[in-house]
Amino acid sequence: MFALADCNNFFASCERVFRPELNGKPVIVLSNNDGCAVARSNEAKALGIKMGDPLFKIRHIVEKHGVAVFSSNFALYGDMSRRVQEVLRMFAPSVEQYSIDEAFLDLRGMEHCDFDALAKQISRECQRLTAIPVSVGIAPTKTLAKIASKLCKRYPKLRGGCYIHRPQDIEKVLSTFPVADVWGIGRRSQAKLAQMGVETALDYTRLSETTVRKLFALPGYRTWKELRGEACIEFEDMVEPKQSICVSRSFASEIRTLPELTEQVTNFAVSAVDKLRKQGSMALEISVFAMTNRFKENEPQSYAGRCVPFASPTADYRTIVSASVSACAAVFRQGYGYKKAGVVITRLIQESGHTPSLFEDFDGARKEACLSGAIDSINRTFGPGAVLFGIQGDGSVRMARNHQSPHYTTLWSDLPTAKVE
Amino acid sequence: MHPFPIEESTALEFDFMGEIKAGFPSPAEDVREHLDLRRLLVRHSASTFFFRIDGVSMVDADMDEGDIIIVDRAVEPYNGCKAVCFIDGEYTVKRVEIRPDGAVLLPCNDTNKRFKPIPVGKDDNFLIWGVVTYVIKKA
Repeated sequence: MFALADCNNFFASCERVFRPELNGKPVIVLSNNDGCAVARSNEAKALGIKMGDPLFKIRHIVEKHGVAVFSSNFALYGDMSRRVQEVLRMFAPSVEQYSIDEAFLDLRGMEHCDFDALAKQISRECQRLTAIPVSVGIAPTKTLAKIASKLCKRYPKLRGGCYIHRPQDIEKVLSTFPVADVWGIGRRSQAKLAQMGVETALDYTRLSETTVRKLFALPGYRTWKELRGEACIEFEDMVEPKQSICVSRSFASEIRTLPELTEQVTNFAVSAVDKLRKQGSMALEISVFAMTNRFKENEPQSYAGRCVPFASPTADYRTIVSASVSACAAVFRQGYGYKKAGVVITRLIQESGHTPSLFEDFDGARKEACLSGAIDSINRTFGPGAVLFGIQGDGSVRMARNHQSPHYTTLWSDLPTAKVE
Repeated sequence: MHPFPIEESTALEFDFMGEIKAGFPSPAEDVREHLDLRRLLVRHSASTFFFRIDGVSMVDADMDEGDIIIVDRAVEPYNGCKAVCFIDGEYTVKRVEIRPDGAVLLPCNDTNKRFKPIPVGKDDNFLIWGVVTYVIKKA
């Protein structure tokens, strides 16, 4: 058996932890730069606010109904996510964090449990200990567990926990579950399925094995088997190192000069190298890209990228930052307003498996490693950005965050106050 | 099944172990004892939160303006506990007397009669958010 624990409207729920007066009221959280709604409380959904709606488009709803609007506060969400994960680990020996707000629990070997009661208990404990509402679905496969967790959201009577395992129950659930909402059914498959008249998850399981294999390839076939109760998606509790690392942002306003763009790009590069080093990898290549604002149709448009290879695999801050500076200069063109930029470091190898070539500068590499290690430890002790490259400016990314809540759980200066008048 | 890594990030440690290059090896080399304030003050890291005190109604419970209180949601509210409560749209700290028909929130400031006990019924918009386990104050 597998469980899927999914935090309900996670970012919006995090904002409510220290603002309980917002319970029962519409809440939305905006993407970086306060662009569009990326999380909505149930009340906000009921007002017709859709995922990805730009703020300017829904401003009339926000004003009319007094919707509480927040900028993304990832310090808070990350910390609350960590707390929920800790609670989940009390219930299962093995937990796979799938995203910031979802985790799978491996319940194999726990067949003596009353799984329905367990699902409800996990949900209740998450709420009690962290104040985050969580839906827990338990089923014989990961795909079915995901469906079970969605049922909890649809039916409050389930009290946050749902266990499905009997074939007749699974069949009944799948007969009302849209195939487009099944985990692993991508947008292209959805279009194909719609053409074939396959509407529900049950319809999908009734396609023949050969049809599924032919039309939807291996991933679609796996989903088909999982829906039929055969577990075939591996449980991954060990995080595999990423094959590429991308850091990109849109800016609050367009950037029109090279020094400003370089400052932002080097900030992205430093943050990418930090991620690279945390997973113990080295890179062979870095790309920088920048794009103009495509919504400003009367302005000249550009989408340009430049890739710089490294002579040998590296995880050195200076090497990668200086490559990003030259790539940025190659990408930038005067007269354009850049709205978004980013860096991607690719062709990664694990540092532990790296054999240096005969022509590498060993002594230089050793010094580089020392310096980069020192940068890591200073920034880990005193906070990100404690040491910067001069070219990074003040190290901040130009983003609009006009509605950000305090970092209640991660900064001493931002603790919630208890009034005792 | 794989073992999962245990992350032991202790923000504050008193560790007096030094590195000795030559000479007599320290007989304390293998001693791994140290005092970790976090371990003392935070029993459950998933459910422990910090708040700052603003106001003077709890001075007799040793909570003064500016103190930091540690609040653990894992602790079940008990009769007489001090707890962060949410009432009338605000967080407050009170001593909670649990009664069959609800609860009474008691201030802890005998010198100032302005602070009155607040009875709360089951229907009131009221919530015990978490029980106070420690008070951190500057000496």
